[in-house]
Amino acid sequence: MREIFKKGNPYIWLTASALTVCLLMICGVIVLIMMNGFGIFWPRKIVKITLHNGTVALGEIVKKEPIPYQKDSYRTKIKIGNRDVYGSDFTWIANADIVSLHFPIDAVVFERREWGNLYGFLKGFRQGETIKPLQHDTLMILLAESRGLYKKIRYIEKKEIGNINYLMEKYRLELKRLMMFPPTEKIRKKTVALNAKIDGLEKVYQEREILLNNLYKEAKEKEIVVLLADGQDKIVPIFQIIRVYAPNKMGFFSKLVFYLTKFWEFIWSEPREANTEGGIFPAIFGTVMMVIIMSIAVVPLGVLTAVYLKEYASDNMIARIVRISVSNLAGVPSIVFGIFGLGFFIYFVGGNVDKFFFPEALPAPTFGTGGILWASLTLALLTVPVVVVATEEALSSVPISLREGSYALGATKIETLWRVVIPQATPGILTGMILSMARASGEVAPLMITGVVKLAPSLPIDSHFPYIHLERKFMHLGFHIYDVGFQSPNVEAAIPMVYTTTLVLLITVLTLNLAAIVVRNKLKKWYSTRAI
Amino acid sequence: MKSLKRRRYADRAAHWVITLGGTATVLVILALFIFIFLEVYPLLQDARITKETTHSVHGKVISMGVDDHQEVAYIIYNNGVIEFISLKSGALLKKHHVSGLDGSVITSADKDHDRLVLATNDGKVFTISISFSESFAGDSRAVTPEVLEEKKVKASKLKAGILNVTSRGDDSTDVTAVYTNDGHLILIASETGKTPLDNEEKKEFQKDITGLFVAHSINQNTASVPYLLQTEGIERREKAKAGMQTADNSSGDLTEQRTGTEITSLALDLFMENLYIGTPSGDVFHIDVRDRENPYLVEKVKVSESAVTALGFLLGDVSLVVGDASGGVNVWMQVRDDRSSWGWALKKVHILRSHKAPVIAVAPSMRDKGFLTAATDGTIYLNHATSEQTLLRFKTGYTPVALAFSPKANGIFVADTNNRLFQWRIFNPHPEITVKTLFGRVWYEGYEKPEFVWQSTGGTDDFEPKLSLVPLIFGTIKGTLYTLVIAVPIGIFAALYTSQFLHNSLKIIKPVIEIMAALPSVILGFLAGLWLAPLMERMFPAIIIMPFFITLSIGIALVVWKYLPVIGKGWYRHGTEVLVLIPFIIGAIVVSIQLGGVFETNILRGDYREWFSRVLGLKYDQRNAVVVGIAMGFAVIPLIFTISEDAMSNVPKSLISASLALGATPWQTAVRVILPTASPGIFSAIMIGFGRAVGETMIVLMATGNTPIMEWNLFNGFRALSANIAVEIPEAPFGGTLYRVLFLASLLLFVTTFIVNTLAETVRRRMRLKYNKL
Repeated sequence: MREIFKKGNPYIWLTASALTVCLLMICGVIVLIMMNGFGIFWPRKIVKITLHNGTVALGEIVKKEPIPYQKDSYRTKIKIGNRDVYGSDFTWIANADIVSLHFPIDAVVFERREWGNLYGFLKGFRQGETIKPLQHDTLMILLAESRGLYKKIRYIEKKEIGNINYLMEKYRLELKRLMMFPPTEKIRKKTVALNAKIDGLEKVYQEREILLNNLYKEAKEKEIVVLLADGQDKIVPIFQIIRVYAPNKMGFFSKLVFYLTKFWEFIWSEPREANTEGGIFPAIFGTVMMVIIMSIAVVPLGVLTAVYLKEYASDNMIARIVRISVSNLAGVPSIVFGIFGLGFFIYFVGGNVDKFFFPEALPAPTFGTGGILWASLTLALLTVPVVVVATEEALSSVPISLREGSYALGATKIETLWRVVIPQATPGILTGMILSMARASGEVAPLMITGVVKLAPSLPIDSHFPYIHLERKFMHLGFHIYDVGFQSPNVEAAIPMVYTTTLVLLITVLTLNLAAIVVRNKLKKWYSTRAI
Repeated sequence: MKSLKRRRYADRAAHWVITLGGTATVLVILALFIFIFLEVYPLLQDARITKETTHSVHGKVISMGVDDHQEVAYIIYNNGVIEFISLKSGALLKKHHVSGLDGSVITSADKDHDRLVLATNDGKVFTISISFSESFAGDSRAVTPEVLEEKKVKASKLKAGILNVTSRGDDSTDVTAVYTNDGHLILIASETGKTPLDNEEKKEFQKDITGLFVAHSINQNTASVPYLLQTEGIERREKAKAGMQTADNSSGDLTEQRTGTEITSLALDLFMENLYIGTPSGDVFHIDVRDRENPYLVEKVKVSESAVTALGFLLGDVSLVVGDASGGVNVWMQVRDDRSSWGWALKKVHILRSHKAPVIAVAPSMRDKGFLTAATDGTIYLNHATSEQTLLRFKTGYTPVALAFSPKANGIFVADTNNRLFQWRIFNPHPEITVKTLFGRVWYEGYEKPEFVWQSTGGTDDFEPKLSLVPLIFGTIKGTLYTLVIAVPIGIFAALYTSQFLHNSLKIIKPVIEIMAALPSVILGFLAGLWLAPLMERMFPAIIIMPFFITLSIGIALVVWKYLPVIGKGWYRHGTEVLVLIPFIIGAIVVSIQLGGVFETNILRGDYREWFSRVLGLKYDQRNAVVVGIAMGFAVIPLIFTISEDAMSNVPKSLISASLALGATPWQTAVRVILPTASPGIFSAIMIGFGRAVGETMIVLMATGNTPIMEWNLFNGFRALSANIAVEIPEAPFGGTLYRVLFLASLLLFVTTFIVNTLAETVRRRMRLKYNKL
């Protein structure tokens, strides 16, 4: 036995176990996120539970667990929905209290624009005091109608009134700027013209407002009556309903279709109910745009540094200092970059930009507050080392013979670099860029203080000149996770959403990382064959 | 030829562009440091005077004040005249006569925000209030002062003059204490309360409470300390205060009239509960006046060897500034004390720089815990109580008669006996910050002893931000330590295994670990806070026994491998232990989860939380340091793994071959040759992991409770520097103290990680050079 320990085989097993633990951890985390993230849109059966004391609960079973401090007793967590009626989405039921449990075939889930899901049985269409029975198909037609109405309302609210507001704000700022000049005749004329424009817009706005009010009135007219589990009737305006489905009736394929629709909706629609429902499109959009702006800034800086280190610097003091700087940029905590972004980009650069270019809007800051540009630049500084390391690696894999060949043909150093070395190193540079994008899309701490918000009123790109609004605040997947998971008023109901958002972020980051690896391998081959 | 020249120029230009671009990273690092430092720098600056102006006054000034913008000042003379002067031009704006004075002379005044209480030499007390209203005409601001005379009270049935007055009041109640020149202390109170029939009822009290302290003084101080009039400066002040009185009587008569003890100063707090009385014997009497009709003496404290000459409250009326005849300035407050019968005791908490002459007046700032003290020799100090520093020193050359702070605490006003009014505009943005308040124990109001406290915001206006960085640094160290305890062994062992023993066909594991590094920390933080923390709380006993079972399972795997060679031989190869172990470790985890309940009932007596608090005296928080350690370990392991694996696998092959050739086993080679050779690399791996753990923000933010407490308890939360910055900077006003302190926190993080990273990089460079030589 002693012999075995002396040879050290058990220790090898011990070190192997460390690696195994690492592998299990990483796989565990990925599986955990996948399971929780992919699962939430799958329609679950609606259960009707009758208790000893006669109360009835209708909803989805969320989980079962042992009751703490009690032997062999279990409880069930049920999502009963109907937050406007019961006050909370979830309830706990001790399994011992259950008398009967079955899955009523005609139980229906109403997905609403506000107050979360409603579970119940469809009773009929409300007409005055009477209730007219309603077929499922007719309900679908009504729903389609109300969806059309909703689209109309959204169009007016978002597009038309949004346009009016945007223009009005623009004219107002122009007026303010005109006031800063000495009042000449020309300026007076301009002022009058602007005022006239504003008045015109005001009129249009009022028209739209009336139209909108009428539409809302129309929307409220049609209502259905839902029978809740405890026997009370609940009147729901059809306009409030997004989707109606009866999961207990659904087969596998209709469930699959439902699931895919929901996932699609999650990715492409806007959040509702303080981000706890709806989609995450603005967050995805913000992340992508931020990452793109960042990579535009980071690649030149990173490549220049790497080229300098590999091709120009001899092993002197300056090169060593540059190397130390690069490794420090990689090691300085991201929150410090955030603080720097706040102090330098936002208050110093942004403040001065405001002073010189947007004085009319002051004291309201334009660039002097957090925005997508400042956030991207801050992250660019943070990810420079990633590009530097990848580019350096690529540059050193370019054979000396190629360079020497180029020099022998009379090319200068920059020509050799530009025509021979850089093309060879492109895969490396691309890899660095993709890796820096992966790093940036997961970083949250510096963004929290340089321009991310929980709910941005408008995307950084829209149809108004100059189309790309770099000063706007934006939403971000990572921050979305933090905000919904830790700062939303209804964390319990929001957790499934957070898992799915996490999944989206995880897939983004992993895809980017894999892409980096693939690009490195594929393009390397491609370029090496082309060079020959 | 020309083209060749152009090409050469292009080459030269490119050289410069690339060199500049390459050194840009150095600039970025420098800019990081400089910009953060520039935001911190004002914290280090001393207070300074930005402008000094003097105006002249005409007569004996009793009190004065100024508006928010330091444009208009008022001066109250002892003949009841209130003058408003413009501080821009020095012009007299308005003159107001307090009505009903009838020739009597104001001897003493007490200021309570806008409300002023004036007391006369014939026993009358006036309450007036002076306010300023602002109006805007275009861009210019006009400040209009207003005087409102509220009420008059006859303080005493006797015609005795009042020497000293203190008063506080609010909408329904006001309480005033006066000390008369015939030696009586009289409490005057009026209360408006609702009767059961909902009628407003006004109650008035007037009570002579001289007895409360006279008895005590006679008992304990048989010889009454001669009154201050010995000092020349005080005499002058006494004249100013007593006005006509001293002109009529000689000072000797004055002392004779007194009935055994005297009062030199009075102070009543804004709660209208505690009245403090300073005496020439150096005592402070604390009288509880909550029951207006039956006030009682709570305690008598010897505060000074010499006479108490000035009392005053700081903002919030909790800390009492005591100035004495020998120039000492101390801050006292009520501190919880079990030895006292009342549960509280007046204690000296801050000692400030002494004047060289008796202190005669105290004026508090309306913004912070700063205050002014003036001494008879004409010196005026601007102090800050909590940080115990004297920020500025002024001199008028003559005894000051009245002192005032501007409402925004950016101006100081002093009137002296030479009939001059000094106005100093001061720049003093961060009076509360010293090295001691940031890094030392500070005795704050409401605390029993000096402590490290981080509490940046509070509910009330007079809340004092407590900005000690120590709890945050402690939190960072705690989080980092637990992280490294988890990450270092796993990371290094895994690296050693991967570099030395792992089979070539399994090298794909390396990128998998690198993907672990790519996981965004927000995901880890979310899982740690919302999945791991509740899970661990539920099955904590299982987590405790898990390491044991995992070790056991490794042992079992070893035995299985050793004694079942028949099965093993076919597919088992050296270097695939990692895969063989997977089922064993999963099994160990399952077993420990199964046995967790048994363990809890049998060893921990049923409930682990109870067991913790009973046996170990520890509290279990859901989001605790272990959760952070695991989650942050997850982030740090791949860093340590990658760097040390790199160092280990680059150990020159010749060394390994030599070792093996001499008969060492692979393990012996790994431990005796590889580890020592690669130790610089391992060291820098740990350093870089350390740097990452120190600065990690999201995981700490999400997986701890973010409470700034200082306990090493594994199962407590903490608040780290980085998370603190993320939480508080969005709320911190630009340029404010909190803003700058948070920048200081990030400067600390920056400097720490800079040192660590530079060290790690240098060590790695050395190691590479060494490898090249070998």
